[in-house]
This record gives sequence, structure tokens and C-alpha cells, in this order.
Amino acid sequence: MKLVKKGASQALMYFVELVVIVLSVFPILWVIMSSFKTNGEILTSPLALPTSFSLDAFIHLFQNYSFPIYFLNSLLAAGISTLVSLFFYAMGAYVIAKFNFPGRRLLFVLFTITLLVPGHSKSQPIFSLISDLGLFDSIWGVTLVYLSAGMAMSIFVLKAGFMAIPKSLDEAAIIDGAGFMRTFLLINLPLAKSALSTAGILMFLGNWNEYYFASLLTHSDSQRTLPIALSFFTSEFSYNYTNLFAALTIVILPGILLYVFAQEQVQASVAATGIKG
Amino acid sequence: MEAKGKRSARYRSSRLQRANYKWIYLFLLPTVLIFAMFYVVPIVEVFATSFTQWDGFNAPSFNGIRNYINLFTSHSFLTSLKNLFWWCVIAMTLHVGFGTLVAFVLFHRPRGWKLTRAVYMIPNVISAAAWAMIYRFIFNDDIGILNSLIRIFNPDFSVDWFYVSPWAFWSVTFTWLFYAVIVTLIVLGDLLNIPQELTEAAHIDGATGWQLIRYVHLPLCRSAIGTSIICSLTSRIAMYEQIALTTAGGPDYQTVSLPILLVNAITDYRYGYANAVGVLMFLIGLVILWVVNRLFRMDETDY
Repeated sequence: MKLVKKGASQALMYFVELVVIVLSVFPILWVIMSSFKTNGEILTSPLALPTSFSLDAFIHLFQNYSFPIYFLNSLLAAGISTLVSLFFYAMGAYVIAKFNFPGRRLLFVLFTITLLVPGHSKSQPIFSLISDLGLFDSIWGVTLVYLSAGMAMSIFVLKAGFMAIPKSLDEAAIIDGAGFMRTFLLINLPLAKSALSTAGILMFLGNWNEYYFASLLTHSDSQRTLPIALSFFTSEFSYNYTNLFAALTIVILPGILLYVFAQEQVQASVAATGIKG
Repeated sequence: MEAKGKRSARYRSSRLQRANYKWIYLFLLPTVLIFAMFYVVPIVEVFATSFTQWDGFNAPSFNGIRNYINLFTSHSFLTSLKNLFWWCVIAMTLHVGFGTLVAFVLFHRPRGWKLTRAVYMIPNVISAAAWAMIYRFIFNDDIGILNSLIRIFNPDFSVDWFYVSPWAFWSVTFTWLFYAVIVTLIVLGDLLNIPQELTEAAHIDGATGWQLIRYVHLPLCRSAIGTSIICSLTSRIAMYEQIALTTAGGPDYQTVSLPILLVNAITDYRYGYANAVGVLMFLIGLVILWVVNRLFRMDETDY
């Protein structure tokens, strides 16, 4: 009886694992696989493996559409906003972690509580702000908005990172004659490397994948990021499924690759902050 | 000697800090600026202009609670509230339930648990827009996985899942229903934090596998489950991509959400109305936070 029970719970556990793996991996494998098939193959046998391996769709996309530009836009918007805001939030988190000053606790609460503000609810003011700055329909407007995206998570993760650095190191540096800026740049920043990379990866992933504000703030083809370009493709290609699947592959692959390289960090920080990447 | 050393250290650091105030506030400046520009000012603006009629060109004119009355008498808004309600119910039960189940499975470390944990994250690291498109193809009538599988058994089968009632609602729901990796990671984190002695004590008291889970482990990850419910309900309020890129809210508003209404209002230059939707999103979020906090007694600790 006991053995039967044990066998049943073992079977249940493997079943759950199987469901999770199939649901998570199968859709993506199907998309990647389909991008190598011809349109005819996709229509007649959607589930079959491709009969030949052809990169034509990808070459076609990069040659005939502004894919390099979309890619560059995504990279610029996500990369620059991540680098700049990471530095800004590191500065803020550093003083919150290491110094006593009036309003310290209040600021920390205010910065982290932004996590609970639904981003969409602020759409109109942000839309108007970017328009007033003359940045509507520009990738720089999108970049500017992305600066604010990871605030709560970054301050949270970075503060913990800086707090883990012993204060005696700062004191030693000061005794050796290092000023405020040097203590920060040369002692604390390098030692907070893992917190910085965690926050940076999460912000980059979030901004690379962002769709809502990019769609609200851009209009013309030359300013589109990859996710936006993808949504316009549906109408443009309508029935050329190979191209659509190839476009999807190009959009999803960088995120997956980044995740593969930084798996532990992404998982740990998602668990700690409960944020969708 | 030790106390003296401590005092002098405190004195030294506090004098140091006073000299550093200039630097401290300089360091806070960028974050405070971003906070003001993208949080404080927009939120104040949203609340203030939700009581006005405003097209974005002319100055906003005060019209009291007109926008809110319009909202609560409009079919689309009421439907979006109804959808949100059912999505929240589904999220709290099936979605969080499944995520928790996976966490408990992984906690027992069956073969392949690391792989499972790793790949479960993948749908969350790719763009929500791309994910919506993928599901649009999975549920596609001509080439989709689902209908291809069904046609193996029933060759004449044909349903366009995203475009017909009542399947549209369930198709949109399916795009997130089982993707509960955040729930799994949060709950798993709490499970791993349970002191070993507790489990051993329960074993000595004669608790068997299921009893251990039901009476010891599950109650101890109460606050993790509460946190995951908050995370998942917050995402329900913000559902946009998986609707905009699949059903666009149709058929007949059956899959409409608050962000969809908000964007429609912005593109129609009805800014006051859009911001009234924004205020309600904000308030619904606060209410959910408060209720879940009370329900799961999340401010109490267990150890």
C-alpha cells in the first residue's frame, strides 16, 4: 500500500514536470522550427519537422526590411536606458544603503513602492510629456521612458548589494585619502558587481521586451523596436508564415540567450522581487 | 574598551556624514528626478485631469465626476470589470494553485527538477508581445498546433479560437494560465527557508507525506502565496499585449481589459476619460493589495 502511494506521488511529480516542460518549450521550438520550413510545408503539415534547412527567411528579412534598424533601435533603447539608469540607481541605492540622512527611510519606501503603480495608468501624462519634449516618434523618447522602468527592483537589489559591503572598507579608503566619489567608484561599485549585473540583466530584459510604451510613443517605421515591428508584420505578411515565424525567432532569441547565460541571476532576482522579466 | 571604540566609530562616521550631505543629495538627485518626472507628476496629473474633459489641445475643463459616470454606464467598461473579476478569480485559484503545485514538486527534487525550473522561466524572458503572437499561431485555425492535433481525430474540425465566443475569453486566459513561474520561484524560496528541524519534528510526531504538506509546509508558505497572488493580480490589471495582439478586446468586448480601454481613449483624444480609467486601475490595485494582505496575514512572521 505504502509502495503504491509512493509510486503514485512519483508519477504525479513527473507528470507535473512534463506538463511544465512541454508548455514552456514546445511553443518556442515550434516557432523556431517553422521558420525553417516553406510556407507550403507550414500550411500542409504544421506539426512536421522541416524537410530542408533553409535560412532564406532570415536573409530575406534582413535584406528587404528594416530589420537591422529595428534591432539597433531595440539595442539602443534597452542598452542605453539600462546603463544610464543602472548608474543613477546605483548612486541612489549607495547613499541609502550606507549613509544616515533625514528622509532616508521615506525615500527608500517611495522608490520601491513604485512597483505597485500600474505603468499603464500613467500613459497619458507620459505620452504628453514625451510629446512636449519633442521626442514623440523617436527612439530617444522611448529610451527616456525606459529609464524609469526598473526603479523599484534596482533600488531594492542594489541597496542590498551595497549593504553587504563592509563599512570598514569605506573607512580604510577614507583614511587613505579617497574622497566620496572615489570611495563610490573605486571601492563600492566593483564590489557590488553581482547586484549590478542582476539589476542590469533584469532591466535590460524588461526594456528589450517592452511593447506598450514603445507602441504608444512611436509611429514611423524607422523608430520601431523589434516587438513593435513584429506586430506590424502580421498585417504586412498576412499569409507568409515562414517570414512571420522567422521574425518571431529573431525577436525571442536574444532574450532566451541572455537568460541561458545568466540563468541563476535571473531566477534568484525574480524570486526576490517578484517581477516579470 | 569595546564600548568606547564603538562610540568613537559612531562619532567619526556621523561627522563624516555631515560633511558628506552635499554628496548624498547630489547622488540622490537623478533618482529623485526620475521619480518626480515619471511617477509623482504623472500620478498627480492623472488624478487631477480625471475630473475634466480634455482633448489634449484645448485646456482641460472641469466636469466633475462626469467621466466616472460615463465609465460606469458604458457597456465596454462594465464588461472589462467583469473580465477582470473572473481573471482575478482564475489567477487566485488555478494560476497560483498550479504555480504552487510546481513549487512543491520541485521542492521534493525529483529527477529533472533543475531543468524544469530553468525552462519554466523561458516564457517569462521573451517579449509579451512575441508570446501573444506565438499563441495567436498556436490557436490559428489553418496552421495552429491545437487544431492540427484535433484534426488527427476529427478531420473536419474548425474553430477560430481567438475570434468566436465563448472561446476568445478562454484563449486569452490560456496565454498566461499555466505560466506561473514567478509563483513557483517565490513559493519555492519560502519552502527552502523552512527550518529542517520543523520537518523532522513533524516526522517524529508521525506525520506522513501528505499530512506534512497539508499541515506544516503549506501553512508556512502562506505569505509567499500571498505575495504571488499580489504579483499575479497586478499583472491581471495590466493585461495588454496578450489581448491587443490577439483579439483586440473582441468579440463584442468579451476580452476587453482596462489598459485596452485606456489606450483606445488616448487615441480618441479623450484624455480625461483615459485618466479616469487610470485612476480606477490604481485604486483597484490598492484594494487588491490591502485585501490580500489582510487575508494572508502577511505582516506576521512565522519563525
